[in-house]
Formats: sequence, C-alpha cells, structure tokens
Amino acid sequence: MSLKNVFKRWEFILLVLIVAELAFFGILSPGFLNLGNLLYSTNDFAHVLIVAIPFTLVVITGGIDISVPSTMGLVSIIFGLTWKFAGFPIWLAVIAALGTGILAGAINGLFVANTDINPIVLTLGTQFLYSGLATGLSGSIGASGYNGIGGFPDGFNNLAYGMVFGLPNALVFSLLFAAAIGVFLAKTSTGRSLYLVGVNRNAALFSGIKVKRSTVTTYVLTGLGAAVAGIYLTAYFTSSRSDIGHDALMPILTAVVLGGTDINGGAGTILGTIIAAVLLGYLKQGLMTIGVTSDVSQVMVGIILIVTIVGKVLAGNAAQARLNRAALKKIGSS
Amino acid sequence: MKFLMKLLKRREVVVVLLLAIVVAVVGAINPVFVRPATLIDIVTSALILILLGVGESFVIITRGIDVSVGAVMGFAAVCLGLAANAGLSVPLSFGIAVLAGLVAGAISGAGVAFFKVPPIIMTLGTMGVLRGLMPVMTGGSWIDAVPQTVKNFAAARFLGLPATIWITLAIVIVTTIVLRRVRVARYFYPVGDNEEGAFLLGIPVAATKFAAYVISGGFAGIAAIFFVSQLSFVPMQAGSGQEMRAVAASVLGGVSLAGGLGTPIAPLVGGVFLTAIDSILVFLKVPAFWNDAVAGAILLAVVLFDYKIRTMMENEKKKARMLGRASGGLSGGLASGRKPADAQEGLR
Amino acid sequence: MAVTTETLISMKSIWKFFGGVAVLKGVDLDLRAGEVHSLLGGNGSGKSTLMKILSGAYVKDQGTVEAGGRPVVFAGPEAAHEQGIYLVPQEPKVFPNMSVFENVICGMRAKPAEMLGLVQKYAQDLGFEGSLSDEASSLSIANQQLVEIIRGLVRDARVLILDEPTSTLTFKEVKSLFETIRLLTSKGIGIFFISHRLNEILEISDRVSVLRDGVIVMTEPTSTLSSGDLVRAMLPAGEAKVELENAARGEVRADAPILFEASHLTGEGFTDVSFKVREGEVLGFAGVVGAGRTELAHAILGLDSFASGDVLMRGKKLTRRSPRACQDAGIGYLPEDRHLHGIFLDLPNVDTMTAGILSRLGKPFISRKREDEVAKKYIDELQIKVSSGAQVSRTLSGGNQQKVVISKILSAGPELVILDEPTRGVDAKARLDVYRLIRSLKKSGISVILISSDLSEVIQESDRILVMHNGRIEAEFAQGDFDLERITASAFGIAG
Repeated sequence: MSLKNVFKRWEFILLVLIVAELAFFGILSPGFLNLGNLLYSTNDFAHVLIVAIPFTLVVITGGIDISVPSTMGLVSIIFGLTWKFAGFPIWLAVIAALGTGILAGAINGLFVANTDINPIVLTLGTQFLYSGLATGLSGSIGASGYNGIGGFPDGFNNLAYGMVFGLPNALVFSLLFAAAIGVFLAKTSTGRSLYLVGVNRNAALFSGIKVKRSTVTTYVLTGLGAAVAGIYLTAYFTSSRSDIGHDALMPILTAVVLGGTDINGGAGTILGTIIAAVLLGYLKQGLMTIGVTSDVSQVMVGIILIVTIVGKVLAGNAAQARLNRAALKKIGSS
Repeated sequence: MKFLMKLLKRREVVVVLLLAIVVAVVGAINPVFVRPATLIDIVTSALILILLGVGESFVIITRGIDVSVGAVMGFAAVCLGLAANAGLSVPLSFGIAVLAGLVAGAISGAGVAFFKVPPIIMTLGTMGVLRGLMPVMTGGSWIDAVPQTVKNFAAARFLGLPATIWITLAIVIVTTIVLRRVRVARYFYPVGDNEEGAFLLGIPVAATKFAAYVISGGFAGIAAIFFVSQLSFVPMQAGSGQEMRAVAASVLGGVSLAGGLGTPIAPLVGGVFLTAIDSILVFLKVPAFWNDAVAGAILLAVVLFDYKIRTMMENEKKKARMLGRASGGLSGGLASGRKPADAQEGLR
Repeated sequence: MAVTTETLISMKSIWKFFGGVAVLKGVDLDLRAGEVHSLLGGNGSGKSTLMKILSGAYVKDQGTVEAGGRPVVFAGPEAAHEQGIYLVPQEPKVFPNMSVFENVICGMRAKPAEMLGLVQKYAQDLGFEGSLSDEASSLSIANQQLVEIIRGLVRDARVLILDEPTSTLTFKEVKSLFETIRLLTSKGIGIFFISHRLNEILEISDRVSVLRDGVIVMTEPTSTLSSGDLVRAMLPAGEAKVELENAARGEVRADAPILFEASHLTGEGFTDVSFKVREGEVLGFAGVVGAGRTELAHAILGLDSFASGDVLMRGKKLTRRSPRACQDAGIGYLPEDRHLHGIFLDLPNVDTMTAGILSRLGKPFISRKREDEVAKKYIDELQIKVSSGAQVSRTLSGGNQQKVVISKILSAGPELVILDEPTRGVDAKARLDVYRLIRSLKKSGISVILISSDLSEVIQESDRILVMHNGRIEAEFAQGDFDLERITASAFGIAG
C-alpha cells in the first residue's frame, strides 16, 4: 500500500524520539543507560504494551474499548479466587483468568456488532459492570482494600521477574504477541478486512466482508490481551487486586494514537503502537529516575494524548490551506 | 386522561413511579427504610451525583460525553481545601472551587469544540491530567481537615431539611427553566439533534459545544463544594468513578445518548434512583461492595432497553409504511431506508 | 411565473479549492426575481459547492457575490439568511426530537409567540399535512422538505436554493412541489433549482445553466432548449453523440435456462415483485427514483430484514441471504451510491478491487503478487485511467471510480451482475465503456440486471424491460415493443 510510505516516516520519527529521550535521561542520570536496567524496566510498562496491541485493531475498525482496565482487575480477582478458594491448580486458574478476559471481550464485541449503540457508551457501561463485579467478588472473599489475595507460589510470581534468552519474560511475550498480531493484520485477509471496515463500514458490508465477525474478533483479542496483562500484573505485584491496571487506559490509548493509528478508524500499524508504547514507557521510567513523581508523568501522558490529536488536526488543516494557497497563486488574479 | 398518557411518555415520570414502587416494596419488607430520616439521608447522599449529572447532561445533549467530571470535582475539591486551609474566606473558597471547575471544563471544551478532538479522548486526557495534578498540588497527601466554617455549609438546615437539598432543588429548577426559556440556552438541543442542520440555521455550533463543557465543569465545581463540606476532608481518589454514575444517572432519567433529548430533571430523578438502589441493597443485607456491579448492570440494562425500544418503534414505522404502500397508498413515507449514517459518529 | 429583470444575485468568477484541487474554476451565474433558474451538471461538477458558497456554508477562495447589487461576504449561514438567501438541502436537516414549529423557528431571534401566526400561514399556503406540534421524526421526506421551505420563507428569503429536491419524492409529491414553486415565483422569489432530471428542468425552469468541470458552459432560456441540447452541453467538448448499434448487442436464446428468479418479494419500498432472468440476458429495470428498485436490490442481497419472498439461483433457493452469501452464489451488485457503499475512497484502488476476494488472494497470507495481478487485469480490461493500482481512489474521476467498483464486482466471478444506476455521475466516455462492458458480459454468458432511471439507456442496452412504479412491477416490454413514450408513461404510473 502506498500509505506505507507515510507511516514509515512517522514510525521512524518515533524511533528517533526514543533515542533522543534515552540520551536525555542518560545525561541527567548516567545509571539510566545501563542495558540490564533498560531491559528490566520494560516490566513496568509491559502490561500497556500487551493490551495496546489488540487495542490497535479495535481502533482501526472504528471502535474503542473503555473497559480494559476493569477487565484486567476482574481477571486478576478471578485468578486469585479460583486458585485460593476453589483450589484450582495454578495453570487452571490461569486458564480461568484467560477465559474471563475472552468472555468480557466477547460480550463487548457482540453488543457492539449487533446493536447500533455507540461503543463508547457500551464499553463505559461494561467497564462499570466489570469493575463492579471485581469489587464485589473481592469484597465477598474479604480481599478488598490494599491487601488483595496473595501467597502465590514462587514459580508463578517469577513469571513477572524471570528472563528468557537474557530478556525479561514480559518483553519477550509482548514482542511475540505483537509479531503475531502484526502479521495477522498486515498479511491475512481477515486482517485486511479490519482496515476496510474502519475506512468504510458500509462498503465493507457490500463487498461481502463479514463485518460483525471482524468486529467481535477485535474485541475478543483485546479481552485476551487484557487478561494476559491482568495475570502478568498479578504476578508482578504478587497479589490479586480488583483495581489492577486501573490507570492503564490512558497510556494504552495514547500509545495507540501516538503510534499513528487514526482514532476514527481505517489506518494504523502494530509497529507504530509498539514503538509509541516503548517511547511512553521509557518516558515514565526516565522521569522517575530523575526524581519526577508518577503523578506528574501521568499529567504528561495526558498532555501528550491531547497534543497528538490536536496536532494532527492542525497539521491536516495547514496542509489543506497550503495546497489551496498554492493553487490560488497559480491562477493569479483573473 | 390524554394529559396522563402524555405524562407517562416522559421517562422522568416513569422512573419516579418505578422508584415509588420499589421504595414501597422494600418498605414493606423492612419498615425502617421508609422512615423520613432514611429517605432524607438517601436524597442528601444523592446530591453530589445529581449535580454532576446535571452538568453531564448538557454535554450529552450536545451529543458529546465528559468522562472527566469526577476528576474535575476532585481537582476543584483540592483547590477548595487548599484555599480554605490557607485562610481564605468561605465564599471565596467556594468561588475558587467553581472557578476551577469552569477552567477545567473550558480546556475540555476548547479541545472538543475548536480542535475537533473526539470528546471521549479529550475528556480522558483532561481527566488524566487533573488526576495527576491533584497529588502534585497537595504534595502527595490528603487534605485531612477543612475549617469548621466550610463544614457548616453541609450542616445548615432550612424548614427541617438540610439546606443543601433546597439549594440543589433550586439549581435544578432554575436550570430547567433557563434551558426552556432562554433562547441561547436552547441551542444545545439542535446541536445535539442534528449538528449540520444547526450549523445551516446559523446556530454557533462550536461556541455551544464549548459552553456545554464549561457548564459541566462548573457543576462539578459546585459538586466539589458539597463534597468537601459533607466529607470534611479531601482524599486523593475524590471523585474517582463518579463520571460513570453521572452518565448513568442522566441516561436513566431520560437524557438520550444520541443527543438532543433530556432535561435537568433527568439526573435529579436518576441520581436519586441510583442512590436509593445503594441504600436498598444495604437494607436487603447485600454487602456494599456489590453496589457498583448492580449500578453497572442497571446502566447496561437501561442502555440496551432503550435500544430495544427504539428499534421496535422503527420497525413498527417500517411495517406501517410497507402496509401503506401494499394497499396502494401514494404519498408520503418514502424515506426508502436512506438515513444518514449517524449512529456511530456522535460521541467520538 | 413572473420573471422580472431585477437581478437578485450575481456571482462572478467564483473559485473554490479543496486540498489544492479546483472544484469551481471561475463560475459566473446570476438569478432574477420571480425566476426559476435550473443548474444542471454531473456529479462532482461543483453544483452543491457553488450553492453552499452562496448560502454561506462554504467560503469562496476568489470571486465576488453580489446580492441586490451590492457585494456581500458571508461569514456563515446566518449572514446569508440576513440577505434573504436560504438553501433547502438535498436531504432535509430536521431535528427529530423537536416539534415542527420549533424546527422552523430554530435559531431565529424573534419570540416564538410572535412567529406562530406566520408559520401557520406558510404551512397552510404550502399545503403542509399535519400539525405544527408533531414531532419532526414522524414526517415524511416530502413534508420534511416543506419544513425546510417554510424555514426559508419565515426568514424572508427572496432567494431559495433547492438542491436536488425531487430525488426522494413520489410523482404526486413532485407535482405538488412544482405548484409550490410556481406560487413562490409569482411572489417575486427567485429560485435556483439544482437537478439532474432533464424532463423536470425543461418543465419548471425559465433559464438553464450547465456547470461542467467547474465552469458554466451555457446559460440559456429554457424555451430555446431541448433535452438533446442539455445532454450535449454536459459532454466534454468535441464528444460526438453516443451511438451504438443495436445489432451489436446480440440475441438472447428463448430457450436459455433460467439463471435467477425472484419470487413474491415484499419489503420496505416494494410489494410482491416476481421475475426471472435467463442466462446471458440483460434485464432492464426502468423507473423513476423512488420506484423501489434499489430497495429491491438491497433486499435480494439480504440487507432488508423485513423482506419476505424468495430468491433462487439456478433453481436453488438462497436460504440465508447476505452480501457474502449472494456473492458466493454468483450474484454481484454494483451499489447505487458508490461513495457510500462501494468504494474505499482514501485507500489505493487495488484495495477496493480486491475487497471482495480477500480470501482468494492466498492462504494464509495475502500474496502481493496476486493482488497486483488482479489490479492490472482490470485496469487493462476496463481501461481505468490510473497510474497503477496503488493510486488512491479519491483522486479519480467519477467514471474511473465506478470502474474500480465494477472491478471489485467482477473479480468474484459472478454469473449475474446487478448494476444499480451504473452511469450516474459518470462522464460520457466512461459511460460508453460501461455499455461496452455490459455487452461483453452478455457475450461471455453473464446475465445483467440493469437498474437505471435513464430510460433511453435502458432501452438501448436491455433485452427485456420491466418497469417499476411505486414498489410494483407496472409493465413488461419485450424487445420488439420498446417505446420510450410508453415506458416513460409506465414509469410515472400512467396507464398506457
């Protein structure tokens, strides 16, 4: 596709920005550029990465999913619950947790695909419901508040801290997941149809594309991503909590938008999302290293989100105006 | 009789009736519930939600959404607390809270109205920024106490009821009247009902949208006043999660998410209803941590029910048209299914 | 129609660019009091853009607009209203949740109580059916249009712009609208009548201007014009009249097997429609807009959940219909509105062309080579004017865009192709290509259902013609009986 030329440039710019920011923080705090440190700190934002990947698909088809944070929390609680109170072996609890995420995504997807209710409203509602369920469940087993359910076997907790081939587990998983979804999106017919649905839903329908099926798929994959992220965070914090991932929506959304995906659908790449997520993740890490609190970095992420979109609009207007002025000059004054 | 039928068509009336029925049923099970003190308590707890809902309604009527109202309230509460504890007078501190809300709303409004940022994104961004700002402003800790003079606001009584109830009621009534009578205020409806049509009729669409968000912020500021004086301290999570409840209260009470429909009475009725549900759950011995799940289920049910009703009515119209032409009718009703693709556009 | 010499509006050298592309290239147009001035032009010729500039919705890039002899600059629609100019949009923009009365006075500064009498008077004058307190969502399109016209009158409009007002009206409603127009012009109001319906233009207007490629190529009194003159004016300079030998069309064997059958189809917009199509046959569906043909096609595709009746391909019933199921069964559909339903404007051509056959481009991964082969094949076969499949569709002319969508339909290898208004908004050269395509399809044994409101086109290309009117099949014409007058009469519901 010829659009690839445009995107290639933007992803390249993002890469340059990563290098620049690493250099910036490295200068302010020399220990920052330690390779081991850099790799290890990806654990902090791996959950954003994992969810942002399928989230990109949802946005490409013109939808949005506000419920991912609450899905993560619900998954975490289900995991803890089934392990501690239903006596599930760890691997079965993991499966139960994954299933919860898939179910949550499927519910979102089915509602979005089969009703004309706005995805924002729908997922706002399911977010409310899922987080309510998470709170309710954790309260009913006495795990509310800051304690959560703990005491998982070390093997499980090490999932979040272990390494494979010298790279942190979470990073490896994220990259593999990204590769799989990225190839799916760019090269398979179902993946291609997602773009078409995002650009012109009606035309996609008339072309014989199974629009409903595509829509549901994107939400199910997002639910799955949220489940994996929820399980990961549970291991990372060594406890099951209903509010796990509660502040993850903004970084996820910002990563997708900053990565070049059009919020109205029809354009975007997985590569862009990953690079943007890494950019944002290291931004937070770097800020922490130089002593800036995570609250301030949250403010910055929010500003980046707004500025990105405003910037796109302004750039688009400027480009149009430039083209029009040039054309006007050509005809002179008649 | 006809008047009664017309009244029943209004969602607000239906919700009030529903509430009355529910209260009666619960009261029968547990008479403590229907004691005046309990009912007044419910209404008092609902006030913050009602105020947030009224502001949110303005935005929803213009076919937008504001998910930052909780964060704006928290931000305004922090401003209020800091100002009061710094020795500023109560009226001034209250004014600062409202001002903080208006400013926050103005930022969201500018993004949506002038830069065409989708409302969900803009208000998510504002929410994130404000949530991060709050601990920065307080140095990370909660605001543990506020001066007694601030707390007095919540404690004041008038004619046997808390003054706060009267004030809220007055606010809702005034807002409703303004929306109905003041010409410029009426602009919110056409902008939400058919934005392009509003533009073609010369209505200042951008300014109207901007105003909706400013108003939403302002009401969140007012809600902060109630919050701080009722609670007497400001936790860092102040307002967290309230935006969903504000939307739920409005939608429950009859504000349409597609825009163009609804009055400030809606969040009043919806807010009381939702808060009553919380109390009812307590009286039915359901643990408090299930409140949100129930509220969420109710919101989803309302949204889905609303959709079902709409589709049913459209199908009825379709059938009528089909029957009409099958019997040879000639004029009218030739929409031929060509409706502008509107459903997905608005709230983005 | 009391046409005076008073000039209400004068537009000179109007230029308008979108993204560097000139849509209006120096347009000169004027309007006199009491006149109906028609503006004719193909899709994309700039008619709507010009009128949006006049009514204040768009800002011109260059040129002057004079109202009542004085130059005016409009900051927005309200400024145009103050000058007495009102645009009745192609699709009425009513507020569904407000009453008719509120709809009319919305945005006006006067108090509602003061306006009530005036609105009632106009509603009565125009024959508006229904009460002013009805909710606008319950109005028919025709009545919605009246609401728009009343809006203009109430704002003291002296200039009314009617943008394609008849495209969604029944025959009776069109007659009613024309009476309204005559009433308004008798009071000195000037009307711009934008349309692509030649017969209506000839009937109602005093002068006709033709807009082609961003400039006005002709402004003449209607009395001096024939429909042939109008058609010729819309063709690019130097194009000869379209002529194709009937003989080159080929014959349909009377015993050719039945390929497709529709049985008692009833749905929103059509009632009890049954017909058959043979192999290699071109079946024309004539009628005016609103006859129900597109609705019928959509129902065949399974897009109308209320439709009853059956569709059979080669005798086998299609049980659950959907665009995909129909495609698999060998039915292809070229949508009436290619922008809305057919083409992915902001993507490269090849993406639209392959949208229907994605799963056939290779498993598990789409083969770029196969994609390019498909694109090249159709670019050559249909002579699409593009640099390559990678060119973005938005930059193409209407005719070439149509060819891109046709490629998509053909790529799936259909046995029956339903063409819904295939030459609408298509320049004359591309139109010829479409006719050639229909004939070559027929030659290769593919059947065609040709839905078109251009009756001469239907006569020229079909083997058999069905005329639909108001949702029913009104008449059937065999090849020997093709008669433009009788077919036209049927299309308008006049028994012949």
